[in-house]
Amino acid sequence: MAVTWRAVVLAALGLPVVLVVPAAGTVLLWTLLVVVACAVDVALAASPRQVAIRREVPASVRLTEPATSTLTLTNLGPRRLRALVRDAWPPSTAAQTDRHDVDVRPGDGTRVRTVLVPTRRGDAHADRVTIRTLGPLRLAGRQASLETPGRLRVLPEFASRRHLPSRLARLRELDGRASVQVRGPGTEFDSLREYVIGDDVRAIDWRATARRSDVVVRTWRPERDRRVLIVLDSGRTSAVRVLDAPRLDASIEAALLLAALATKAGDRVELLVFDRKVRGRVASATGARVMAAFADSLAVVEPELVETDWPGIVAQVRQRLSQRALVVLLTALDPSVVEQGLLGVAGQLTERHQVVLASVSDPEVDALRTARAGAAEVFDAAAAERVGLERAAVAVRLRQRGAEVVDALPDDLAPRLADTYIALKAAGRL
Amino acid sequence: MSTPVVTVHEAVVGDGTSARSRTARRWRRARWPLGLLALVVAAGVLSALPEPRTSTLTLAPDNPGDLGARAAAQILGRQGVDVRYVRHIADVETLAGPGSTVLVVGDYLLTDDQVDALGATDADLVLVDAGWALGALTPSLASSGGGSDAPEVRTAQCEDPDAVAAGAITAGGSLLATGPGAVVCFPEPGSSTDAGGAYAVAESDGRRIVAVADMAPFTNERLAEQGNAALVLRALGRHERLVWYIPSLDDVGAAGGSEPAPGELLPPVVPILALQLLLVVVVAAFWRGRRLGRLVTERLPVVVRAGETTRGRGRLYRRGRSYGHAAAALRAGTAARSAARLGLPRSAPAPLVVDAISRAAGRRPADVEALLYGPPPTDDRGLARLARDLDHLESEVHRT
Repeated sequence: MAVTWRAVVLAALGLPVVLVVPAAGTVLLWTLLVVVACAVDVALAASPRQVAIRREVPASVRLTEPATSTLTLTNLGPRRLRALVRDAWPPSTAAQTDRHDVDVRPGDGTRVRTVLVPTRRGDAHADRVTIRTLGPLRLAGRQASLETPGRLRVLPEFASRRHLPSRLARLRELDGRASVQVRGPGTEFDSLREYVIGDDVRAIDWRATARRSDVVVRTWRPERDRRVLIVLDSGRTSAVRVLDAPRLDASIEAALLLAALATKAGDRVELLVFDRKVRGRVASATGARVMAAFADSLAVVEPELVETDWPGIVAQVRQRLSQRALVVLLTALDPSVVEQGLLGVAGQLTERHQVVLASVSDPEVDALRTARAGAAEVFDAAAAERVGLERAAVAVRLRQRGAEVVDALPDDLAPRLADTYIALKAAGRL
Repeated sequence: MSTPVVTVHEAVVGDGTSARSRTARRWRRARWPLGLLALVVAAGVLSALPEPRTSTLTLAPDNPGDLGARAAAQILGRQGVDVRYVRHIADVETLAGPGSTVLVVGDYLLTDDQVDALGATDADLVLVDAGWALGALTPSLASSGGGSDAPEVRTAQCEDPDAVAAGAITAGGSLLATGPGAVVCFPEPGSSTDAGGAYAVAESDGRRIVAVADMAPFTNERLAEQGNAALVLRALGRHERLVWYIPSLDDVGAAGGSEPAPGELLPPVVPILALQLLLVVVVAAFWRGRRLGRLVTERLPVVVRAGETTRGRGRLYRRGRSYGHAAAALRAGTAARSAARLGLPRSAPAPLVVDAISRAAGRRPADVEALLYGPPPTDDRGLARLARDLDHLESEVHRT
């Protein structure tokens, strides 16, 4: 049951009538007229429950890209369906227009489209579809809200993919200049080629040179098929807001870039999302499926307000990795938290694996550190200075235990982590 | 990413409810609130209906307390007297006329205009505790101002038939006869009526003016004592109509009964038009009030900023006036950054750091040492100066 603006106009039309016949009876009569007209209209309106609603929605869409939710409405009733239809979605999907006027004859169908431009990662579940049918007078009508399931998975934006081409170029460079590079313990023999000026003389293969008239050098290439395990800490420290997004989102960007890079470099990438239990994992995906699997499982990761169980993470890593691998911990370099959690178990990880700890730092702290406007700001600056020193100290302690530490602003974390990966690969430390 | 896969869901028809089930559900949901509402309304009506309105105003006809006069008013009503309780002089003017009595209780709130208006009515007057108004209304009587005010038993000692019928009353106060045709009764015990009494009667301009110096005989508490009831009922019950006037503060219009109320100035169509407008407003409320489906809610991410803990620490420093801690942090930060820029290890001892920085900045080692390792500041200004000096030092190291 709902009335339209026309009913208000009908009630207002009684004003001149009352001016002509000023009596309380006139008002009563007019009220009766409005009520009866609305009741008749409601009685003649099509039933909103005799409409078949079919929903079509993309399974997934990348953040900030548009998706279309399509409703196909079929009028099953005997009356003409004049209706206002609302396709309700959560606010963060930023539906452009979710109200649609439809006019369907009995037995016919129509299609309404709602364009969604999601502004937040995760699963967006469609709410009810509300149909407000109007009677022939369009004074009033009937309304029903119907459960119509629908789910749109909003994948991470992966804005850091713009860094990918430059990093891939450096990776290729790494491949090609193999002989110039210092021979490390972890480089593999690739092929033989002619010596050119600038090559390391230690790379000359004398036996091959003896067989031919030219000087021949061995070339090396970075190892392939190494394992990379990205561990994403979704505990309470990941919920903190840095700039305008949770810390977790910057970590996800970094994880996606590293996964894309390592997959291209021929390594096997796995993912573990963990706080006190496993929130998501990607294992044994290869080739093109890796990125899809990563995006899909990272889309629904939400920060949990619990303390991260670091011994649990170590147990998971031990269970998943039997040989030496690169373990990337995407967490927060929060001195008190690290001292109580990670520092105690970092040794167990570093003795078997190459560990990189990547953390999002807060630009606000830097701004606080340089503020000098008044006494309060100087105290804040002192606090920021102290926080910075403590972070540096805890990073030193982690490095002493053999872990690499990457501490960068949200936008820089992904490229910095990628650079660290390339550097480790170049040094043959994977 | 791969091309988007479109999920097509099963068609949905209706929500599995019928008109009957919806009505039943609405009734089940609404019955308890409706029942409660009905109970409240019923209780309100029951408590409001049988009990007449009462007040706590002294000598008001609807005051059942000790100082009220509901007993007298109810007895008069049962004897066929039409008791009208009014608070405004305009109402007195409308109701009072020949063949009615006006009771005036107290004259503290009366103005000259209102006393004149009382004098202009043709009704008999009964003035209680109104010595000043009495003097203005008749030249024959006046309040002496003397005598005892505490109610005491007094005998009539005069010829007035009402007073004789009462015999004795409990009252105080003193009224004097100052002209011919005035009778004073109930003097103080042991004195004559010439010295003043609690009750006086005078004929003036063809009407009877009764004055009672004390309101005690009228109160519920004392009405039954001595002959109080006889005197009160005879004084008030002489005519068919009794206008019970207690002056009030908000009675400003003295004799302004002819001014129309604001509502009377409007054309008669206005109230009807207002009613129609109300209908329009109600329909508009229904139009705007019905939502097209419910609000969709969503869990929001945490909104605590990462810098909050740092700011909190800064406030703690400030509240605790920890100039030492704050200065130490600022100095350590500057020293660490400068040392890193100059290629010193983190573990470098202080003299080495001071030496390197002083050479890089071109300052005397003593100055640099005082700045980096000197005594902590003791006030806001000292801390701000230290921060500025450290910034300068750092920028100089940077330049080299």
